[in-house]
Amino acid sequence: MLLLFILQNATNNAPQAAEPLEKQPALLSLIYMGGLALMVLLLLLSFLRNRSKRSALAAVAASDLPEEVVQRLGSTATNRGLRFLRWFYVLIALGVFAAHVYWVKYAPESNERFQQLNYKDLRNRRLSETSLRGWILDRSGQLDKALALYKRDAGGNIFRDYPMDEAFAHLFGSDRGDPGLERALFGLQSGAVPEALEIVQGKDIKQQANRDVRLTIDRDLQQEIVNQLKGRHGAVVALNPQTGEVLAMYSNPSYSLKEVQDEATWIRLEADKRDNKLVNRATSEYYTPGSTFKTFMMITAFRNGMQGLTFAGSPGGYVAAPGAKAITDDNGSCEVCGTMTIDQAYEISSNQYFAQMAGALGPQRLRETAKLVGIGAYDSTNDLLLGRKEPDIWNASSDAVKKALAPREATIYTSDKISKYDLALEGFGQGYASQMTPLQMAMLAATAGNLNGNLMKLKIEYDRPPEVYHNVLTPQMALDIRQIMGLVTGGPSGTARGAFASVKAAGIETGGKTGTAQKVMPVYDPKTGEPKKRLKIERDPKGNIIRQYEVLELDEEHPRIDSWFLCIAPLANPQIAIAVIIEGGGYGSRAAAPVAAALVLKARDIGLFGDKPQAGNKNQGTNNQGNKNQGKQNQGTKNQNQNKPRPFGDLN
Amino acid sequence: MKNRASSHLFALLLIIGFEIVGYYAIHRAALIRGYETSWVSATRDLLLYVPIVFLVFLLTRATRFAGNWTLYTTAILLFSVGMLVQYRLYSDPEYNAKNKSEAREQKADTQRLRFINENYSAEKKRMMGLPATPPTPTDIEKEPVIPAKYSIGNALASGQTWIPLFSFFAFAVAYLFCLRDDFLLFIQRHGFIIVLVTLVPLSLAVITSSAGKAIGNMTPWEPSKIPFLLGFAGILTARYKDLARTYWGIPSARDVVPLVAMALMPFIPFFALKDFGQMLVFSGAYATLYLVAVRRWPQLFLFVGSVLLVVGILVVGALPQDVQEKVPLLPTLARPVQAALPARIQQRFHLWLDGFDPPSPNVPWWKKDYDEALAKDPKMQELANESAAMQNTVNVDVWFDRVAFQPAQAIFGVAAGKTTGRGLGLGYAEVIPVADSDYIYAAIGEEMGLAGGAIVILALIIFVSAGVRTSLDARDMFTKLCAAGLTAFIGFQALVNIGGITRALPMTGITLPFVSHGGFSLITSFAMLGMLMAFSHRNAVETRGAVARPETVGISDPTVPEAVQ
Repeated sequence: MLLLFILQNATNNAPQAAEPLEKQPALLSLIYMGGLALMVLLLLLSFLRNRSKRSALAAVAASDLPEEVVQRLGSTATNRGLRFLRWFYVLIALGVFAAHVYWVKYAPESNERFQQLNYKDLRNRRLSETSLRGWILDRSGQLDKALALYKRDAGGNIFRDYPMDEAFAHLFGSDRGDPGLERALFGLQSGAVPEALEIVQGKDIKQQANRDVRLTIDRDLQQEIVNQLKGRHGAVVALNPQTGEVLAMYSNPSYSLKEVQDEATWIRLEADKRDNKLVNRATSEYYTPGSTFKTFMMITAFRNGMQGLTFAGSPGGYVAAPGAKAITDDNGSCEVCGTMTIDQAYEISSNQYFAQMAGALGPQRLRETAKLVGIGAYDSTNDLLLGRKEPDIWNASSDAVKKALAPREATIYTSDKISKYDLALEGFGQGYASQMTPLQMAMLAATAGNLNGNLMKLKIEYDRPPEVYHNVLTPQMALDIRQIMGLVTGGPSGTARGAFASVKAAGIETGGKTGTAQKVMPVYDPKTGEPKKRLKIERDPKGNIIRQYEVLELDEEHPRIDSWFLCIAPLANPQIAIAVIIEGGGYGSRAAAPVAAALVLKARDIGLFGDKPQAGNKNQGTNNQGNKNQGKQNQGTKNQNQNKPRPFGDLN
Repeated sequence: MKNRASSHLFALLLIIGFEIVGYYAIHRAALIRGYETSWVSATRDLLLYVPIVFLVFLLTRATRFAGNWTLYTTAILLFSVGMLVQYRLYSDPEYNAKNKSEAREQKADTQRLRFINENYSAEKKRMMGLPATPPTPTDIEKEPVIPAKYSIGNALASGQTWIPLFSFFAFAVAYLFCLRDDFLLFIQRHGFIIVLVTLVPLSLAVITSSAGKAIGNMTPWEPSKIPFLLGFAGILTARYKDLARTYWGIPSARDVVPLVAMALMPFIPFFALKDFGQMLVFSGAYATLYLVAVRRWPQLFLFVGSVLLVVGILVVGALPQDVQEKVPLLPTLARPVQAALPARIQQRFHLWLDGFDPPSPNVPWWKKDYDEALAKDPKMQELANESAAMQNTVNVDVWFDRVAFQPAQAIFGVAAGKTTGRGLGLGYAEVIPVADSDYIYAAIGEEMGLAGGAIVILALIIFVSAGVRTSLDARDMFTKLCAAGLTAFIGFQALVNIGGITRALPMTGITLPFVSHGGFSLITSFAMLGMLMAFSHRNAVETRGAVARPETVGISDPTVPEAVQ
């Protein structure tokens, strides 16, 4: 009766609109399982009850026999064996069940191979086939500018469409490989599906999945990056330094989300180690930061009040320790020979200055700052290349999103035992500081660009309120650093003044830093795209082979020269912080800086700097003049209200 | 609950009641998923409980059953779980369809359109080219679904109808025969001949079968397990006292040789049939019987030692290459073993220990399958030839598509089920191939979670305990050993099956007794149940008789002298 009553209740509850449809069958199956469990317990109890009676064999013994004898009658050697085997059976049955518990409770969290092969789980594909995800919208939040949406083809089949496909492939990710936003935002991982109990308690995965998500990415800015990077390997990250919003993030070469639905294409991409199209270079590739790392040194110097130090450049270079190789500037001797202040050194990008600065700061101070800006500082060189993921720098709605976007942790070596020479190399972004991601460098620029000197947590979902990751600088320090960065693009001998001439002409004050880094690359077989290897044979003094192994063949003579540029704009109240890396691009001022300049102009046109795009830009001269005044005023009053966009560069 | 027919009848009715709840849950879940469950097969399934209830009456009225009812009820509980899961799987149009992808897409489209209709704003609908209506809630009763295509004719022709009926019949026959003293005496005395006679049809099966299966997907040699067991129990009964007399821990050859011959008998055909799961279960059951009958420490040591040795040799041979290379001398030891081990066993061991990583394509037992797969798909072949890294990726894919597909999907399902499962009909158990038979535990794990698994395991433990109790109470050595052997057989078979799915043991491809839809396996299980029930009844009657006439506690009873020793 009770059962029928429950059943009827469940039936009546079902058609209410707000309830997920799954609730009813889930409840019923819980009732079913509860019922069966009850029956099993009943059977167990009845069995135990009947067992507790004395053994049937003992019953045959005459009742006047002593108790001991009766008991011995019941437990012959044979029966003892049987009893033992029964407990043995119970033990292995529980062991087998323990394996079930392992797969449910522990494997999804701790078995790495199991997690990696998650994409082989057909349930994921079923889930994404049968339940629709929400649409992904860009910054504008308009449906017609959706980045991922559903369409119907002529046959009435519904399919997920990506109007800008390759531009967002790394961010969105497909059903294969590591999850991207597509799988993380909507919780449609097989593991995230609620179990019966949770469904009954009202958890509904489909409602959550259907929520449209507005990203902070600007569609047009992203497209501009795609255009700029066409034909080049590299990555660009654009952040809003005040809020931590990711305005654009792109890594070239990319792949097509539509094409990887074909398994063979996916396999081909996976195996292509040379172009590495599946890797998001912006978050997951280590680059030597070169001179852009001087920004980090400058931040550290300011934090410790050591920005006033002066060091001398000498034509023969700076020798960090007796016998070490001399450190010279890019021209082979010294850009400025003689005593330099920090702003001079930064403007002309003096290696000698920052090498000496690193020595003066010491590993302890570098370690402190590194931790604040999200760089992992390690005492052992073995830890540098582990590539830990760093989900915590994200300000996101769920752990899944954080994990999907988590960059590889950029690392530096800051052991107290570091040699003076190595420390000096780190000072200008070489040596043990060679593990930087473009995202990390953009975060450094954003730290300087934040009016309060805060590093904001990164966010990609539009609706989340900004969160501070760490306070790194005081507002005054940040202001001073921005001034110095401004010299690079605007100063008389700034390394990027040529590339930014057009930006300056458009009336936008910017700051930046160029960087150039050499990287020795493996030799690739032109046919297969595989790195070439050669057999290395170790012999003992007698000439016997101790061991042999394959090593990568490195092209020492033709290192790849990567081109970097960091940029903040507009200088007085930065609304965008950009990091550009172009692999094999040559000098930072030549390849990366023009890309950044084009992006700044684009961002202004889109209206990211707080004003509407201008139709024509004819009176550039006057504009420029006005701007400078405006900029000075702003610096004087130092407006703390960062949320209020300030008109900049528009006096007309 | 008392051990009375009425109490257990009540329990059975309750189980049927819960079954109806389960069936209704599946029906509703199916509507959500966009298909309809079949009323015909639901009715058929429920009608199958009629003979189950009828058997209770038969047992009480015709034979005044006094044995342990727990055996029966527990077995029926397991059987009902199996029926429910099979109903869920076979209702799914995708599960048994010839064109799976079409059925899948049909299901998916229904659900997605419904979802859009329910949730999308008019503007979004317009953008997708659908009529721009505001979001409207779905009434699953009225939505179009894929109709069930199961007719009464289908039901009458289906094995799902007949196999349970045959099983109940086998149960009744086995029960009635084993009640008869003359029958038991006959098989006890002529065990050797019975086993020899069993070998004849079996050798026929060996000749006609392919890849361990015959007549579609069935294994018609399952029932032969019973005569083998009876034969072994018979010879042990005759020899166990002699076996206990040892010289330095070694019994005399005169006693050992017939025993070993008898024990080896089932292994020959099953080895030829490549039914290694069955061999494993036989080893377990025979070991149990030997340990129960002959309890002398030296013999135990000898026995356990030799079992460990054999297992050790097997494991050494089957360990994956990279593990072997880490231990010195191991590859030298393993090579001859590997050469002797059949490919199938090596494959199963690899799946067990290292299932997520494919072996290198050069490993002999995998090379054949790998090459075959590449030959079928020229695109893959081309990719594999491109480079070593590419070959590696292709290897992983081929491995998962062919050998590891079923176990991997099963374990993903088990993991997805979490604690209380996805809910009946709400999981994706249909993606696991043959989830109704060997892999039924994976389907249970997915839709009922750990809770469902615990119910099955607990029920098994209760069943085995009740079987052991029957054996404990037996008053002659033959029935004692038979009961112990049958219990061990069912118990071990279940564990080997579940362990294979949860990766506690290598997967061997045998069924879960009472639960799986295994054709002959279900019939065999029910016949075994019938025998156990008969022994239980005999115990009760004999004890009652002995209590009534205490003077008949006889020297003829073989257990008593030992007890008094």
